[in-house]
Amino acid sequence: MHPEKTISSDFEPKVIAFVCTWCTYAGADLAGTSRMQYPSNVRVLKFPCTGRIDPVFILKAFQQGADGVLVSGCHPGDCHYIAGNFHARRRFAAFRKLLEFVGVDLQRLQFSWVSAAEGGKWVEVVTELTEKVRAMGPMMEFKELALEEQWSGAMISPELQDAYRQI
Amino acid sequence: MINTIDISHYGTVAESIRIEAARILGEGLVTAVVAYTAGRRAGSVQPAIITSAAEAERLTFTAASVNNLAVYLTKAKKDIPRSGRIGIVVKGCDLKALVGLMGESQLQREQLYLIGIPCAGVLASTVRPAEPLTAGNLAPKCRECDAQLPEGCDYVPEIDLPLPTPLESTYAAEIARLEGLTPAERWAYWKEQFAKCIKCYACRQVCPFCFCEQCLCDRNKPQMVDTTPRPAGNTAWHIVRAMHLAGRCAGCAECERVCPMDIPLNLLNRKMAKELKELFDYEAGFAVNEKGPLTMFMEKDDQSFIK
Repeated sequence: MHPEKTISSDFEPKVIAFVCTWCTYAGADLAGTSRMQYPSNVRVLKFPCTGRIDPVFILKAFQQGADGVLVSGCHPGDCHYIAGNFHARRRFAAFRKLLEFVGVDLQRLQFSWVSAAEGGKWVEVVTELTEKVRAMGPMMEFKELALEEQWSGAMISPELQDAYRQI
Repeated sequence: MINTIDISHYGTVAESIRIEAARILGEGLVTAVVAYTAGRRAGSVQPAIITSAAEAERLTFTAASVNNLAVYLTKAKKDIPRSGRIGIVVKGCDLKALVGLMGESQLQREQLYLIGIPCAGVLASTVRPAEPLTAGNLAPKCRECDAQLPEGCDYVPEIDLPLPTPLESTYAAEIARLEGLTPAERWAYWKEQFAKCIKCYACRQVCPFCFCEQCLCDRNKPQMVDTTPRPAGNTAWHIVRAMHLAGRCAGCAECERVCPMDIPLNLLNRKMAKELKELFDYEAGFAVNEKGPLTMFMEKDDQSFIK
């Protein structure tokens, strides 16, 4: 007999942070070296620039079990590559509208500018997102999709209903 | 009440295309003309590429000329002579796609001889190609068309275009309906729609803008999108597709027409077009722009969503 495993029912959210190496990563580093406390729920992924962060990464993160996603980089005008964050700003402005339309709750997706000097802001942003996601519970939409095999068979469109009646 | 749409001028248009195609091929102005010819079923129409003036008499134009021929100038037909100028028959929506391709340096204007169509609309589906065109079977994109008369073409048959009957946009109505739902309800709606997908990639193959040599979705290192036709991969594919077309889609709605599972693909494209209009004041049109809305930026862009 195996000893019964104690499964904690407390929900610990997984938060994925896509950060730019020049500002937010350094900012998170500053928070660390300054011994500031922030939730360990956040997994940091370092990118050269927010302009390198493809919307498909966010999608992939949700599919792989993220409950919240943070995208963070340099303040406008501070980009190491001159304009990467300006391009990212437009791209994510469009992408979040698309996700919203598809039915993803935008509360789970946070964007922020955190400079290398803003360790405190990093702590604040991460804590706020983690607590928000914790209150919302796990992100089930994408996880449920991954478990589903095929079309549910629901007759949702008039064409399908028509076709069904003709069988 | 079914109101018939006046397309009596399509006969004259077809005749003008035949004469013009024969002329430009005969004079050696172009090496090939991409146009429509009669299909095998009565009333049906299929794309054709002709290379001699004698073949021009095969050409036609009817309400079943639904295809966006611009796709033949990108990836699908690499064997179309690249050396010379190519003639192509374009409706207003097709021209917008060509203009987009020119903006993305896929085509040069000098390489093209554009034969524009004064268009009153085409059929939504080619199941019954010989049917008279009515408000009922008109393609949804034609209901909200603002490009009936293509601009900047080399040749447009001179015809007094009958005034269009104002029709309500079905896309705008559907988008408004979906926007009114809760995120959970929208998710349920799209889940059902995407779950139907069989991953035939017809939407990708028919799209003039999907010209990548290797699609992100065909790559497996890293594999960003599941390739199996299951709900997870399907959802990812359609989101990626909509995102990659945002700010580029010209609204020809070919994706939606070719979808064998009737997924409302153009609804996503229209939604993105609507959002980009609101956010960046961008709309697909007849003017060649070197930069699309997502390849440029302004310092004053909205960032209210960023903390």
